Amino acid sequence: MRQFFPVEDLARDERFVQTNMAERMKDGRTAIDVEKTSSAKSRGASKRLTPDRHDASDAARGLMHGIMVGEIQALEGAGRTAHDFATGDGTNDTVPFELKLDMARQAWDEARHVEISAKLSDWMGTELGEFAENTVLFEAACSNDPILRLAGVNRALEGLAIDVFTQMKEFGDIAGDPYLEFCEDWMLADEVTHVKMGSDWLRKVTANDPDRRTKALEFQQVVDKLFSFGGARGESEESSFSLAKRFRELAGFTDDEVDTISQMDHEALEERKEAVRKYRERVGADA
Amino acid sequence: MSDVTATHSTAKVTVSPEEFAFVKYDATEIATIVAELAEQLGIANPIRVVVDETTPLAKVYEEIDAASSDATITLHAESGALEDRKHPMSFSPTGARESLGRILLRAHDRMRTDFADAPGDLDLTLEQNAAWDTYCAGRLARMGVETNQQRWRYNHRNRFGFNDDVDEMFDRLWSSDDLGWADVASGG
Repeated sequence: MRQFFPVEDLARDERFVQTNMAERMKDGRTAIDVEKTSSAKSRGASKRLTPDRHDASDAARGLMHGIMVGEIQALEGAGRTAHDFATGDGTNDTVPFELKLDMARQAWDEARHVEISAKLSDWMGTELGEFAENTVLFEAACSNDPILRLAGVNRALEGLAIDVFTQMKEFGDIAGDPYLEFCEDWMLADEVTHVKMGSDWLRKVTANDPDRRTKALEFQQVVDKLFSFGGARGESEESSFSLAKRFRELAGFTDDEVDTISQMDHEALEERKEAVRKYRERVGADA
Repeated sequence: MSDVTATHSTAKVTVSPEEFAFVKYDATEIATIVAELAEQLGIANPIRVVVDETTPLAKVYEEIDAASSDATITLHAESGALEDRKHPMSFSPTGARESLGRILLRAHDRMRTDFADAPGDLDLTLEQNAAWDTYCAGRLARMGVETNQQRWRYNHRNRFGFNDDVDEMFDRLWSSDDLGWADVASGG
């Protein structure tokens, strides 16, 4: 079976249209009120995904679709990591057999999450493929170093899943949607486990290789910043969802690591605002 | 502000902006779609469509000068309401028909005397807004406009609750054609 599968070759049927982060960042529009001029009745003071947003159900549908395609890519990523590397002691691009078992278990979890997410999308009135699929998640699973994959996918990506699922669970709870609240709660429990796997294996495999650990943690920071989606995650009311600190703690993140991610989220939001301002100036100049 | 005029129906439709900088939309295409919808609904009023292309959000609302056949109807749409979700920043004729058709129906309703008490769109409660959306989306579907009923059912449940009584209320509003504001606000 083929190893090291590029993102361009992911199998999808005709319902799905793929995009990537570079394309998304070309979009000069923003829901963030950069100039602080819009009326509260229009864009709203808070971007937090809660049922009292005027566009709550559509915003939840869009995020749910993003979760579903994310689950597909997480399944593909965990499956690749279980298969792409030879079994060994963790050095020279080998991985311990027990790590492969964890990846296989994760792939099984993700397959179940895909089914759950597809059914939730149907329940919410969303067609599969209705929204563009951002492939940034699988791209983080394409590193040639399995430890970088664990840092990028299990700690950064699955960490993001913890934050998103916590927000969606709360949304379902407040709206009174019994299925959404229940399903998100169960998937959240799995995600905490997946992050913990990444945290544990990262420490174990790099115990005698501090340079590799540093490189992996740097890669995680890059992915974390990318996954903050220009400030979509953060403590500010301008962000759609917040950092689920308690669940991250359970998943093996230290307080310092959580603070670092929180700071990066804030920086990502400010960078996005600045980029939008510049884009608007340019468009204004061109018009 | 620049305007584009379509001549497909007796309604004069203008769209602003005339040229889009943030999204790949065509003002004439939007005007044509609104003119076709107006023709289907028998609306001859002048119609202004104002698109906020600086946000990807999808809020739509309408305003009408007076409940008369010569009053100007203004349809406001954030760009996400007209967007092809598979191809961000691109126009979706289907999405535009659904979003603009919904608020054009509202404007049509407002010309009835039994909608005189309806608050302005921006003053509606979330529940009133959802009930009216359900009533409009059902009629749009029967007009032949592509509409996902489950999407609107989910929107309705989010505002009123997830139980059988709410579903019955949704079905009544969805299948109705001749309600006054009091009927809409009370769930058909």
